[in-house]
Amino acid sequence: MKMQDNNGDEDLVQFFQEMKEEDRKIPLPPFPNQKNPKLWYLIPIGIAASLALGFLLLPHEDQVPSPPTEVIIITLEEDEKNNQQIRIEEKTYLETWESPTTSLLTKF
Amino acid sequence: MKSPQLENILKELHQEAYHWSRQCCSFDEDLAKDVLQQVYLKILEGKAIYNEKSQLKTWLFSVIRFTAAEWKKKNKNIYPLEEEFDAAETLEEVKAVSHDELIERLPERQKEVLLLIFYHNLTLEKAAEVMGISIGTVRTHYDRGKSGLKKLILKKQAYENARQ
Repeated sequence: MKMQDNNGDEDLVQFFQEMKEEDRKIPLPPFPNQKNPKLWYLIPIGIAASLALGFLLLPHEDQVPSPPTEVIIITLEEDEKNNQQIRIEEKTYLETWESPTTSLLTKF
Repeated sequence: MKSPQLENILKELHQEAYHWSRQCCSFDEDLAKDVLQQVYLKILEGKAIYNEKSQLKTWLFSVIRFTAAEWKKKNKNIYPLEEEFDAAETLEEVKAVSHDELIERLPERQKEVLLLIFYHNLTLEKAAEVMGISIGTVRTHYDRGKSGLKKLILKKQAYENARQ
């Protein structure tokens, strides 16, 4: 491949020659030394591993569903005169809990 | 190409690479150092890969040019509008300015072509590779750039002669 023919451009050639000479006075930055590049790859891996380990070691508490604070019980009852009445009661959840086998005990 | 071999060639080209980086960064030395550092990182970390299809110098220069353009875009968020146009004929006198300041008055691409050919001794074909444009476009910028710079040099000389 031929170099560019710069005949007739002596003024430009001289201009760039002077420019190069001026640039030689500029101090060069040092070429960066590659310091153990493999070590840099280990840093994100290390961080990821520690996070994973920390996550595994964290005590996991199962969330206990909180019971409703109050329940409304609506019952239909008969009074002494055989009139039907609606009774509305508000009770806490624990108070209203009945064993699923209670009915069996009363019936037999 | 193996990494130590590549590193040795990069060391050999370091001086030229730094000057090209300065030229791509409008002669801002601090920015040029940052850009060159970024370029070396890209290369040594394998983010910029040399495919051995072109000369290593041509490839390195194109990586530097691309990285400098990225930085300029990121920091200033503007595009040079004058890219495709000739140097504006200003009424401002070309006073005794440095070579850097004089060439900086040319449109970006004309400046790049002239620097690649006259300063870094590349051919028009190699300059086209570095700039990622066609040989025809490079030739246009080359002719316009030469004519523009010659005018600026003449103006500068006329100013200096008038002062004496």
